[in-house]
Amino acid sequence: MSLDYVKFSPGFERFMPKEYRDMVEHGPFGKKVTVSQMGSFKEILEEHPMCAGCAMTLFIRLAIISFPNPEDTITVGTAGCGRLAISQAAIPFVYGNYGDQNGVASGLSRGLRLRFGDQPKDVVVMVGDGGMADIGFSGTLHSWFRKEKFTTIMLDNEVYGNTGGQESGMTNQGAVLKMAPLGKKFEKMDMLGMAKIAGCAYVATVVPNNPRRVESVIKKAVLIAREVGPTYIQAYTSCNIEYAIPTDKVMEDAKTVEDDRYKFSEYFTDEAKQFLADRYGYKEFLPKPAAAVTQA
Amino acid sequence: MYLVADINVEICAATSCKLCTQFCPEANTILYNNEAGKEKGLKYGSAYVAVDRCKGCAQCVWVCDNMAKHHAIKMVMIDQLPNAALTDNVIYGEKSTTALLTSPVVG
Repeated sequence: MSLDYVKFSPGFERFMPKEYRDMVEHGPFGKKVTVSQMGSFKEILEEHPMCAGCAMTLFIRLAIISFPNPEDTITVGTAGCGRLAISQAAIPFVYGNYGDQNGVASGLSRGLRLRFGDQPKDVVVMVGDGGMADIGFSGTLHSWFRKEKFTTIMLDNEVYGNTGGQESGMTNQGAVLKMAPLGKKFEKMDMLGMAKIAGCAYVATVVPNNPRRVESVIKKAVLIAREVGPTYIQAYTSCNIEYAIPTDKVMEDAKTVEDDRYKFSEYFTDEAKQFLADRYGYKEFLPKPAAAVTQA
Repeated sequence: MYLVADINVEICAATSCKLCTQFCPEANTILYNNEAGKEKGLKYGSAYVAVDRCKGCAQCVWVCDNMAKHHAIKMVMIDQLPNAALTDNVIYGEKSTTALLTSPVVG
């Protein structure tokens, strides 16, 4: 868990594959990279077996670039499409068995705090809607109620895409899918509301058709989770296979859904705002100068 | 044969929006070369595609046509491309990348 783990072992430089050499020499470790620099540095994410044009992959790519300290980050996932890409990255990935991801992350984050003390080590859970809202539901909610300090990201494709198109709790009411031919009977679960009730310090919804916004949301969530409390991001990452979206129309669909029912929203507790302003200098949360207040 | 994205350097180097590099779902597939337009007297660099990683989803085409409105990217059969970048020929620099262009179809 330091910059040392992305270095060559002495004597092995010339035997390493090109991708590894590029990662050591031109990777983002120890530097500050932003989404506007994409295409000019070697990314942590490597080639992966996800479907062509998958919006979930785009979100994962943006999320991994946005981690404030990638060399001090561990990702946790579970069964589902997302782990196929998240595990193909040059940062440690822990596979929580089905539904266990938030339990695994709780232990991991507590252990890292014991071992490294004040040095921030980030744990980020990235799982699909089925793994979080159905199978791992109790584990997820309990980790929030216990105020475990790590970030949880839901890759919400509104279907079990990996297993052929069954409905999940996050599928919209009435949606007809290959393995749900009668249509979904009940409403989409309100995980955002539950996250707020359970005491998450930061809750956000985001759609990957705005890379800079994804970056800002992930950065805030990871930073707040260092000291304040659990954070939750719900990202719409359409499944172009199960919802039959032509791959070149994936971003058009993301835009339509964002305008319709997935509007960008952010929720902060006061403590989280205070923390971002004091510790990381976020100007929008700094208290307004007295003069400005009286004029207003 | 299969389709891959091909970026028109003349159009791209006149604009420098870099949107396609941010919207490609594959990592390190659309890369940016700051020097690409200089030899042709154009203002900016240009994006280019490492064709061995391109899965042909055409998301960049939609982004270039509808968000950037530059119409610089087309889908082309890989054997119709005389020269293209491959991951093995990409050289990373401090703030940019360059690639030696070779025939994408060997043999």
